[in-house]
Amino acid sequence: MSAVLSVQRAGPLTTIQDLGRHGMLRSGISASGPMDRRAYELAGTVVGAGLGGIEITAAGAEFKVTSGECLVGFAGGHFTVRVNGRVADWPGTSALEVGDVLAITPGSSGNYGYLRFDADIDIAPVLGSIATNSRVRLGGLDGRALRTGDVVALTGHGRSAREARQPPTGQDGPFRVVWGLHADAFPSAIKDHFLRAEFVVSTRLDRMGVRLTDGSGVFSDATILSLVSDAVTPGDIQILGDGTPIVLMRDHQPTGGYPRIATIITADLDRFAQMRPGSTVAFQPVTVEHAHHVLRSGP
Amino acid sequence: MPTILPLGDSGLLVRFGTTLTDPSNRAATAFALTLEREPISGVVEVVPNLVSVLLRYDPLTTAPAGIAGEVGLRLNGLAGEQTNRTEWVIPTAFDGPDLDEVAASLSVSPAAFVAAHNASALRVLATGFAPGFVYCGLHPDRLLVPRRSSVRSLVPAGSVLFAAGQTAIAATEMPTGWHVIGRTGFINFDPVRNPPTRLNAGDSITFEVAS
Repeated sequence: MSAVLSVQRAGPLTTIQDLGRHGMLRSGISASGPMDRRAYELAGTVVGAGLGGIEITAAGAEFKVTSGECLVGFAGGHFTVRVNGRVADWPGTSALEVGDVLAITPGSSGNYGYLRFDADIDIAPVLGSIATNSRVRLGGLDGRALRTGDVVALTGHGRSAREARQPPTGQDGPFRVVWGLHADAFPSAIKDHFLRAEFVVSTRLDRMGVRLTDGSGVFSDATILSLVSDAVTPGDIQILGDGTPIVLMRDHQPTGGYPRIATIITADLDRFAQMRPGSTVAFQPVTVEHAHHVLRSGP
Repeated sequence: MPTILPLGDSGLLVRFGTTLTDPSNRAATAFALTLEREPISGVVEVVPNLVSVLLRYDPLTTAPAGIAGEVGLRLNGLAGEQTNRTEWVIPTAFDGPDLDEVAASLSVSPAAFVAAHNASALRVLATGFAPGFVYCGLHPDRLLVPRRSSVRSLVPAGSVLFAAGQTAIAATEMPTGWHVIGRTGFINFDPVRNPPTRLNAGDSITFEVAS
């Protein structure tokens, strides 16, 4: 299969992603990759996708097939997808041929959706990956988000499609965390307050981090120590000098000097990425062993 | 002995101190080198930092307890001095916008500051804050100046930065709160190469005035 897609419209931060550019932290490059990995994989499973996919944001996007044909799989968040104006199931698949228009508009929830194809996205990998890291301008199309007029070419064949199971991302409730690198630097009263409090996802969110509004002032009186810069991992909840908590996401800076009270576990980070601004979030501590158990066996 | 801490559910951090000192940095660098020579099964990435080493593992297949045990074995055999040091000379034009202010704060002339700055070889303390970014040090206490009170929104690639007893080299355009004392054509980042960077923690760095 091969096809060429023309970008008719792309919301901000629409990017090409794959599973990420791993092993480059010492060179100063975080892995990037899909904000919601399970959704990315689900979109790929249903079409036996090849290399890469397109990450759509809540602003939506529109593509036109200008040559060839392909199968497209879509998943992640709640979006409305139309093929030539006709609504298709989300998540789902569609066969596209030349002239078809695929339009995605935001639905009731979620920040990120994925399009994957029964072919590879035809982009030369940079340092082993085509994932866009727009902070360091690597991967994708010239290291930047997609914009109107861009052309995304597909080449080769995907793998065989498999029956998809809806991933278990619908859990509500607190986000599970393991205590962070600097948890002991916070007084126990602040740690207790952190677990009782509800935070609100602010409008300041992107692939690097999600700022939270600390309405009950958990960190308003915290003495933020100056720390030696140390390794960062996605999901780290870092407390800025003014007391603002920020959850570091896939395009995080590889090291950081602000204290980190806790880290959202891998199994819950996809769900967190989909929380829209205005959503209320809370945190619950678990052990590393429990985090692994959840990751291996599902919630 | 260092402490071994979880960093989320996919990493262990072996931390040799909580403040940047010469011994803690040397120990972290030597330990990272030991892990390159004697890898630990299940560890997918080893990242030396200023005073720690991150060991990333795949949580689907690897339990951190086993890694921690292997870490203990390698710590016991940790060599004092590393042996793979590469020596670099970094020609630098010392004409940065903050040079005069830095020299004044140390009560010396700009020329005397540059001479003192370049007097002895530094060590690459860590890499990884941004693409190709390196921390070099440690300067003697008499060259200690704090960071700037305000952040410059962008400095160009090749900027030579100075603060907190260290000199850093930016390999990409970036914001910084460090003093900009000069610029070099040595750009430690090339995404066409793999690895994309050349300097490693433990390497020796000598700054010299570009002619």
